[in-house]
Amino acid sequence: MRLLKKTDNLEMSYSLKGRSLWVDARRRLFQNKAAVISLFILIFISIISVFGPFFIQYGFSDTDWSSIYQPPSLENGHYLGTDGNGRDLLVRILHGGRLSLSIGVIATFVSVFIGVIYGTIAGFFGGKLDTFMMRVVEILYAMPYLIFVIILMVVFGRNIYFLFIAIGAVEWLTMARIVRGQTISLKEKEFIETSRALGQSNTLIIIKHIIPNLAGPIIVYITLMVPSVIILESFLSFLGLGVQEPLTSWGVLISEGSREMETAWWLLIFPGSFMVITLASLNFIGDGLRDAIDPKEY
Amino acid sequence: MQSTQKNIKNNDLLLEVNNLNVFFNTTDGLIKAVNNINLSINKGECLGVVGESGSGKTQTFFSITGLLSNNGYCKGSAIFKGFDLISSSKKERMKYLGKSIGFIFQDPMTSLTPHMKIGDQLSEISIFHDNLTKKESLKRALEVLDIVKLPKSRNLITSYPHELSGGMKQRIMIAISLMCSPELIIADEPTTALDVTTQSEILNIFNDLKNQLGISIILISHNIGVIAETSDNIIVMKDGSIVENGSTYNVLTNPQDKYTKLLLSCIPPWLDV
Amino acid sequence: MIKFITKRLLIAIPTLLIIIAFGFIMMRVAPGGPFTNERALPPEIERNIQEAYNLNKPLYEQFFIYIKNLSVGDFGPSFKYKDFTVNELIISGLPVSATLGLSSIIISLFLGSFLGIIAAVKRNTYFDYSVMSVSLVGICVPSFVMAPILSLFFGLYLGILPTSGWNGGSILNLILPITALSLPQIAVISRMMRASTIEVLNSNFIRTARSKGLKSSYIIRKHVIRASILPIIEYLAPASAGLMTGSIIVEQIFGLPGIGRYFVVGALQRDYTLVSGVMILYASLLIILILITDILRAYLDPRVKI
Repeated sequence: MRLLKKTDNLEMSYSLKGRSLWVDARRRLFQNKAAVISLFILIFISIISVFGPFFIQYGFSDTDWSSIYQPPSLENGHYLGTDGNGRDLLVRILHGGRLSLSIGVIATFVSVFIGVIYGTIAGFFGGKLDTFMMRVVEILYAMPYLIFVIILMVVFGRNIYFLFIAIGAVEWLTMARIVRGQTISLKEKEFIETSRALGQSNTLIIIKHIIPNLAGPIIVYITLMVPSVIILESFLSFLGLGVQEPLTSWGVLISEGSREMETAWWLLIFPGSFMVITLASLNFIGDGLRDAIDPKEY
Repeated sequence: MQSTQKNIKNNDLLLEVNNLNVFFNTTDGLIKAVNNINLSINKGECLGVVGESGSGKTQTFFSITGLLSNNGYCKGSAIFKGFDLISSSKKERMKYLGKSIGFIFQDPMTSLTPHMKIGDQLSEISIFHDNLTKKESLKRALEVLDIVKLPKSRNLITSYPHELSGGMKQRIMIAISLMCSPELIIADEPTTALDVTTQSEILNIFNDLKNQLGISIILISHNIGVIAETSDNIIVMKDGSIVENGSTYNVLTNPQDKYTKLLLSCIPPWLDV
Repeated sequence: MIKFITKRLLIAIPTLLIIIAFGFIMMRVAPGGPFTNERALPPEIERNIQEAYNLNKPLYEQFFIYIKNLSVGDFGPSFKYKDFTVNELIISGLPVSATLGLSSIIISLFLGSFLGIIAAVKRNTYFDYSVMSVSLVGICVPSFVMAPILSLFFGLYLGILPTSGWNGGSILNLILPITALSLPQIAVISRMMRASTIEVLNSNFIRTARSKGLKSSYIIRKHVIRASILPIIEYLAPASAGLMTGSIIVEQIFGLPGIGRYFVVGALQRDYTLVSGVMILYASLLIILILITDILRAYLDPRVKI
């Protein structure tokens, strides 16, 4: 009887071995209902933002003076109403979504790129270089960085490409910190010692061993960073420092909507809802990923 | 199977555990960690509990004292001096915890609250259970620090845990369990995290507690060598069940179970246990 | 202690210098001076203006003059509000922004920590779920969405609270701006506090405390909070930075004459001295907050030596 139990255990440990960390994480992620639903919502919003405008009879900058401030209606084809220039709100929201989402993604990648390189170098080489590099991060941390972005936008003009870079350039600090911490703990692991003993170069070790093992925290952080970048962009656009007419983003639409909410509530509520739903989905996916990759009791 | 222990006179009985089962809800479903355990301990006796890690020995005693983690629950009874610890309410059970039953944990390094002075961590327990004033309680703290052989205890009272060594922290843990003059001390792997010299000093303290103060002790360890010296009876656990049970002498000299034999073969032959 | 504070302040000096230099260089090198739309002025008047603002001197000299003035607390004249110095503008906006900022940070810290602790202790109950859902709303609804919606609902729809204006700092005028400002911070803080409290509750020393048979409320008060509040203390400076930027928006939406509004106007009109002044003020505040964070951390955690 007892012997039987022992073999049971053995079989179980074998079957456990067959599951890799990522397979396990994916299983846990797909068990998380909120994360799965959010993933579908996010994919849906992305798809309609990209392809939706092709199927709508109105262009995003088509003005129509005969139908200004139309409330949402099914009859005239302005499903979400029109603004003060008679432009269709739905198509503008979808266009804004394209811009907001792509700024979120691109600026996040800029900052992840800077942060990962900076963090791994500081963490891997350690010593005085690390102290110096982290000192720099600490100094930058003490700065009201959003105010910096505003100044950058003022100085270099309200150029949309510069917006990508400006946001990416201030958002990398936290990434650098996380990556550095992880690198330091990874550095002590046996498999890095082994590669070093095998005579692999530092660059190779960083690229082949350190960065792949950072994937978990980086992915989690990306999903949590995209929403904060979208907020940042909207924040700037709200102040009139971000995306400029005739282009539009959710921030621009919310800004316009909040000025005209007394006459046309839909101009505030619909862009706001699109944005909030997107942010909430990203947050749920981020939480789900974190729990899946690093399960703890919460 | 557990008949050897049941013969002893009933009025000496301190704790009796019957049909105890412990379960955990995990993402992989319900797991049974402890399987139908019966055991008992008398006044002034030391019971050794041996088993590999994951054998359920710790969870058995966590469940009795209500220290199971949130996803765990237990069934069965644990009668301490005529009072069932398991079916009772949390409030009732708390009157015994810390007062009549002391608990000592495996890892002294992390078992003390880092931001509280040693004196406060000692005194709060008798302020709470015995209604002592802060001053009386600190006096009591000095007494128990003496019992666990901590020199210069006056300075200790105002120091923080991180200023002490591992051995000292474990003595503090023992001192905490002694504050209210308990009748039973449950020590979960009390020496595992310590070096060998400190280990034997701590075990000597347990011997003194048993022999001089008459406190019953449940000594949990994966190391049969640690237990052999102090305990009167031994329970061997594996996969959540008791596989062997009897007086220390019997278990060590004439083990019946294959697993016990295996465990005993782990002790180097030059150690005379 | 005094040694630690002095050391910290000395480290802060280069930080501040970098910020000052950054602001200075960015604003001066940038295309389009402050008087570009006044080109129609006769050249001698323009020269006078340039002289008054030291614009005709070489850049490095302007920088030293600026630093020299700053060291005695003089931010210089505003480029746009010609009859005002930056100091006067900041002082006029300070009561508004300080009231807003201080009340928001106090409310966020206390309410956020409180909700987080309760949610952690009662985790996986309905209380926990509702606190966490509300906090999710707080995280996902940025202040520039929340503020207009609040004023739309409470101001226009229900008509019980004023939608804009300072009105001498009356409580009614403050409710909506402070709510819009603190809600995101309450959300973040309550989530952080919940996570860190759960971690502490699962730690070995809490198990020890529980094995002592102490009351739960006592354990939470004495053993849990001091350990679980540490991440919140660390978050003090970032939270304040968040409130500073949030206040820019909130002051704009609720029409409050605070520093944030001057900053936006200054940024849009290239008012160099005003923008640098506000930036330096905010940076100094953050540096002081980081210092306070370090001192608090040492007080709460005896393992940290200062």
